[in-house]
Amino acid sequence: MSPDTGTPATRAARRNPLFPLGVNYHPLESESATREEWYAGDVDGDFAQFAAARLTVVRVFISWKLFEPQVGRYSDEAMDRLDTIIESAGAHRLRLLVCFFAEEPHARLLDVVWGQKRDPRTDAYLIERQAALVRHIVEAHRSDRAVFAWELANEAFCTGFESASDLDSWAATMREAVRESDPDRPVMLAVDAETLLHETRIDARAALDNCEVVVSHPTARYRSYVAEGPVTATRSTFLDSYLLHSTSRARPVLLDDVGPHGLEISHAEEASMLRCALYSGLMNGASGALVRRWRDMRTEPREPYFVDPFEALVGVCDSDGRTKATRRELDLFARMVARLDLRRYARTPERAAVLIPSERMASRPTLGSLYAPRACLEAFVRAKQAHIPITVTREEDPFEPFSLLVVPSVTDLAEGTWQRVAAWVQAGGSLVFSYGGGEFGPEARDLFGVDFLGHGGARTKATCRVAQQGVLGRLEPFEVAAEIPHFALLGPGASTVVATDAAGSPLVTLSRPGQGRAICVAAPFERVLGQSGLRTAPAELAAFLRTLYGAVADVSGCGPKVACDAPEVEIALLAGDGEDVVLLLDHGGKDVTATLRFEQPVATVAPVSGGTPISVGGVEFSVPLGPFGAVALKVCYR
Amino acid sequence: MAERSPQVLLAEGLARQGRTAPAVTACQQALRIDDRDPLVHCLLSGLMLSEGFCEQALASAARAIEIDPGCAPAYLVLGLAYDRIGGVWNRSVLVWQELAEVVPDLAVAHVQLGEALCAAAFPDEAVAAWKRALEIDPRDSRAMYDLAVAALKQEGMATALPGFRKAGELDPSQDEFFFALTGFDTDVTPAAGVGEVGPDAGERLAAAHAFAANEELFKAAELIRMVLGEHPDNVAALSLAAHLYLKQEAVNEATACALRALTLSTQTPSAVYALGVAFARRPALSDHAAKLFAALTVMAPGHAMPFVLLAETRLALQRYSAAGEAYRAALALDPGCVRALFGEAAVALAEGDFTRATWAVRRAAYHDVERSGHFWRLYDAAVEGGAQ
Repeated sequence: MSPDTGTPATRAARRNPLFPLGVNYHPLESESATREEWYAGDVDGDFAQFAAARLTVVRVFISWKLFEPQVGRYSDEAMDRLDTIIESAGAHRLRLLVCFFAEEPHARLLDVVWGQKRDPRTDAYLIERQAALVRHIVEAHRSDRAVFAWELANEAFCTGFESASDLDSWAATMREAVRESDPDRPVMLAVDAETLLHETRIDARAALDNCEVVVSHPTARYRSYVAEGPVTATRSTFLDSYLLHSTSRARPVLLDDVGPHGLEISHAEEASMLRCALYSGLMNGASGALVRRWRDMRTEPREPYFVDPFEALVGVCDSDGRTKATRRELDLFARMVARLDLRRYARTPERAAVLIPSERMASRPTLGSLYAPRACLEAFVRAKQAHIPITVTREEDPFEPFSLLVVPSVTDLAEGTWQRVAAWVQAGGSLVFSYGGGEFGPEARDLFGVDFLGHGGARTKATCRVAQQGVLGRLEPFEVAAEIPHFALLGPGASTVVATDAAGSPLVTLSRPGQGRAICVAAPFERVLGQSGLRTAPAELAAFLRTLYGAVADVSGCGPKVACDAPEVEIALLAGDGEDVVLLLDHGGKDVTATLRFEQPVATVAPVSGGTPISVGGVEFSVPLGPFGAVALKVCYR
Repeated sequence: MAERSPQVLLAEGLARQGRTAPAVTACQQALRIDDRDPLVHCLLSGLMLSEGFCEQALASAARAIEIDPGCAPAYLVLGLAYDRIGGVWNRSVLVWQELAEVVPDLAVAHVQLGEALCAAAFPDEAVAAWKRALEIDPRDSRAMYDLAVAALKQEGMATALPGFRKAGELDPSQDEFFFALTGFDTDVTPAAGVGEVGPDAGERLAAAHAFAANEELFKAAELIRMVLGEHPDNVAALSLAAHLYLKQEAVNEATACALRALTLSTQTPSAVYALGVAFARRPALSDHAAKLFAALTVMAPGHAMPFVLLAETRLALQRYSAAGEAYRAALALDPGCVRALFGEAAVALAEGDFTRATWAVRRAAYHDVERSGHFWRLYDAAVEGGAQ
């Protein structure tokens, strides 16, 4: 994704063309504004501010109601207003992401009077009218350079669909309408497949596969489901990167709707949240980031006050336009990222992945499908804490790009998957699987070289006795109170028992089929951690998983390129020619000093955002970080 | 009422045992037989909520209410699920109001209503709801904690502290902790009267503890007087005497008894506790109380209560970060300790961390409802009502 041509490399670029920042520009600023006041404010002044803040992309929302007040008759006034917006964007070197059909609680953009309350998602006539409007607007602006992409709908609109086929068909019709006039510009659907699935049980992946750019965004509801707790709690701060990876499917991903959802958190927490999201995006390969809102919505007293899950009330400036802590955070990030020439660096490839089982996508949710995202997020967090470059893949996707697969606390895999996994392990892959209940079929038993003696039932204590120290890293023995819902009673068979429970039953086994490794953990520790509250998550289990994943990643050749002694600090290495960039982000929320150890001696280190290089002269150096602190450092080697 | 199917009974049994997965399966089987049984939907929603699947809990609870608009346990789950999701306070408020109408004498409905109103930025209405809860049940410690937190927000720690202290006194788990320290079995049914207790000092002590645990303080005091008349240096009797004095607000007498017990044996946790509590009731002696409770954390490892007591004295001394540490230690031992969660909220508010405070209060609400067994009480009443 490259919405800007960039500036000469000799001076610091004002914006980064390879990591554009942007903002959702909502049509109304106040709840008391009428729907007819669609972008009636000082658009040019706002765009000047966006440009000054080094933003590149601006999402604008079309008002169907305003554009087509009567059937088939388009409003010249609305078209003129859109012309002005596009012209102004061009003047400020901004690129527009034009969203056609957005459900927006305040502006009611889709409320066409003549629609007679029919559903625009399924009513054939209304769909025809929507396609006509799309054609009309795209035709008028197909040659405008200020338009970066056409967005068919937002997620709030898509939650109204009742089946995936309706969504696919609607998206295909709209896409066709765009393509009739504009064959080149990206077409998008601002839907995160995982969050939409959670909201509606609709699998949007088929519709998204036809989009050139996709988006990822944690919704408030998804956050409360998968990472319950304060928004700056550890699990929550990893959610942006987790969804980013789960959405990717080898296409550019825009980190969307970055910033706070509600009014319940302080300005300092808003700033921490925004910083974590922006750095997570950059470190995990997002193609850009869009802030949720610029100015706070000027709200009317509500009785009682509530927040619609899909309304965006909180911006980076207050309702009078005064800078908030988030705006300063955005400025700092924009300044740093503008100095980062991403063409000169390559991200460390992720050859380790957490596997999301296909049962997650079941149209009727089962307990297994409900546990899966929490267990997967937990595995992702623990792998990140082991500093493994990790991504997220799905059961149906090919396993060949990976050297390590983590299959966390899965109840069941689809038919045929065990054979695929076995073939992949035979060819050299490393598998870490933890038992999530249910049957342990013959394929699994063969792969892990164990006998399945039955389900050991629930336990209230987790115990680990290390039988073979050093085989899978330095596992520490532990005994900790924890609600363990399942425990597989395994017979060692042909495998090596690495650790056992208190009674000597295998807890971790290792087998070496072919050229790979298959590690089986007899209990769903990821699920236990994922189901635990903030206080109840046993630290011993987290450390166990971190060590296990780290050890397997090391022997599989997909471990971290830079060693770090602080698990709470996420690290990303952008490798360049003779110099690298290392990005650090603290997820722990406390002051921390991270000591980094490189494979070769470091000559100097300097902040990317500017500053005097500091001589190192060794393979390691320490970086102090404040709570949720982040830093980007340029590292030159000797 | 039609006879309840075996699947429903199985689902109930499994749910009561906390066996979620088979209980969910049993509920689904029961719904295949009769999908218009509101109690099965309600049970399923409770199970889903227990696993943190709020959306599924909402869907099932809403279905139960749709079938039976008077299904009180479904309102309870619905409200808890909305509260846990957060942000939809208008719906929370409506649900708690409905529950308060369906079961007018249910204090927890008013407590929850107050918390939803407070989160929705209606502090005065929230205070009114908590006061109403205390009218219904004057021993509702959560309503008292909520009022203390509200006072902390509006007027500061000095005004809030008596509220926290009062709420702590309403907390039955503190007495349970004292009796756990004494080592006497208080689960036994006490004798009908003092005259029925044997003359042996051991028997009298055991009976005195049983009476005290059942709030029969005069009978307990009479027995202790007999024991101390014969054995004035009996440490266990002196500790219980101190506890009985504390229950009657006689702090000086309690201090004397506890001090005497500790003079005889410094390693008596129940006496350390009693002296600590006595000192904590004298604001000028909070520092001494803190030292005693710190000692108690070592003498009674594995108990959350000494850490809570230590934290509360530190709170009184306005040593907020130290209080926070003690609360966190308590929560590490007992993550559902309502008193520690409210304490943590107080510390967070004192430190200006509003989000952490809100979060702690929400968790306290969840654990309080879970521990107090409201769901099963309402559920059983609904089953009973249906049977009638």
